[in-house]
Amino acid sequence: MDFTTSMAVAASGLRAQSERMKTIAENIANANSAAATPGGDPYRRKIPTVTTNFDREMNANLVAAGTPVADQSDFRQQYDPGNPQADAKGYVKLPNVNSLIEIMDMREAQRSYEADLSVMDATKTMMSRTVDLLKR
Amino acid sequence: MPVDDIPLMSMLKDRMSWLSKRQELLAGNVASADLPGYTPRDLKAMDFEQTLRTSTAQLNAAGTLATTNPRHIAITSTHSGYEETENRDVAAAPNGNSVSLEQEMIKVADTQAQYQAATNIYAKAIGMMKTAIGH
Repeated sequence: MDFTTSMAVAASGLRAQSERMKTIAENIANANSAAATPGGDPYRRKIPTVTTNFDREMNANLVAAGTPVADQSDFRQQYDPGNPQADAKGYVKLPNVNSLIEIMDMREAQRSYEADLSVMDATKTMMSRTVDLLKR
Repeated sequence: MPVDDIPLMSMLKDRMSWLSKRQELLAGNVASADLPGYTPRDLKAMDFEQTLRTSTAQLNAAGTLATTNPRHIAITSTHSGYEETENRDVAAAPNGNSVSLEQEMIKVADTQAQYQAATNIYAKAIGMMKTAIGH
């Protein structure tokens, strides 16, 4: 009879999703961050990761956000010879962030977050049902 | 006589702990909905006949070891080990995860309703006992 474990697992999911949301927010905010130096690399997109680790005390697999990995795809190139950050050919490197992908990721994180919340809600109802038995 | 000795009560207790264990697994599934390569887990459905047999066996102690000496240790049958199954009906996402949030939500709602049913029956049984006592 251990609802606290269910709660802890769902809470770990919430934490992982909010951490993932942070990485997505970073990507979206930096979608146009050019390089600090001419010819240098602009912001590189981070891919949020999720890992699992076994909690001995709880005897359950908790979910956690892993360290984000760098997206190795090519940077966007924009022809802008007047830009001081342009290279010799007049191209400016822009981050490899695709806002459409980020929005998709964000929606997914949001959906998972909501699902975790519903599980917590259901668990809470079950807990209070048990406590209600004392009222009789 | 402890309440657990009443077969109905011990069956309900068993049912409730099965449901809470299931809720735990479902919480794990939902939390791991974005974990690469994860396969959702569930508990094997409870066997009513089996439950009935163990709960009535407990009453007349036929299924447990006899303690004929005070130094014997009584073995009580606890149902901590419910059988877990891996559910593979849903096609996996490209990252190998086959959790369907919709299905998990249905299961969570189902578990909640079943739990509510169990607690209601429990309360009713206690109410009946109170009636018998004359309260």
